[in-house]
Amino acid sequence: MPTFVLILHGLIAVALLGAITHQTLATFAPAHARPGSFFGRFRGVSAGAFTDGIVVLYVVSALLGAIVYLSFRTDIRPFLERAGYWSSLGLFDIKEHFSSIGLGLLPAYWVCWRRSRVAGDAGRARAILTATLAFIVWWNFLIGHILNNTRGFGG
Amino acid sequence: MTSSAAFRRFVFAYATAFAVLYAIALKGDLALFTVYPSLRIVLLGTQHSRDVAAPSMAFLAPAMYWYGWTATAALGALLCGFVAALVPARWTWRVWDGWVWLLPIAAMAACVYLTMPWFRM
Repeated sequence: MPTFVLILHGLIAVALLGAITHQTLATFAPAHARPGSFFGRFRGVSAGAFTDGIVVLYVVSALLGAIVYLSFRTDIRPFLERAGYWSSLGLFDIKEHFSSIGLGLLPAYWVCWRRSRVAGDAGRARAILTATLAFIVWWNFLIGHILNNTRGFGG
Repeated sequence: MTSSAAFRRFVFAYATAFAVLYAIALKGDLALFTVYPSLRIVLLGTQHSRDVAAPSMAFLAPAMYWYGWTATAALGALLCGFVAALVPARWTWRVWDGWVWLLPIAAMAACVYLTMPWFRM
């Protein structure tokens, strides 16, 4: 059961990673990018259309992570402690902290994207909240993979 | 609903307060509850294994605080959000929108700082 939940957690994280990366690049891409260019295509989609999906995927991913964390604490972490993988455990702690802070940011992020016209401080807030969430998602994804592969990662 | 000024004040205050309170909960070890996954029990408040057993036996009943820290932050943030929604708009219109991203980023940095001991072991 934990393996199934972990795989599901990973698959949802992949979808979340794609959506948040697309939205972030679309937000920060040059406004006057050449139409046929890479950034021009990113600009061609509505970045706001990803918002609801990102919120749902983040919440589901966090919930699955919270479930699988119970198994991690009882079955995996004692092994890592005995083997002295202190840095890996520290990275995982940062992952859990960022995950919670990201959850707390979601309502504000959602409201920022629901507003059709934003400028000035509100526009900056929307862009930076999106970038912050993207950073959290990327961090959690990479650290999750490193932890999952600890016995193979780095020997 | 999302265009309501009160709702906007609620979510902005919630997001800001959640991040700050999470960092405070982490620093102060203020978990609303403690989970013991191997025993399948949840105890109210922050409970350390040394309160009930010898520290060397802590591995028998590993404690989890993350759920409790998150719950502490969520509860506190809800209160802050409700207060922000209820106060007159004229009290808050001068509040800078940037706090909603600046304080969470500062809280993330604080969490990293508080995790540094792991990397010195």
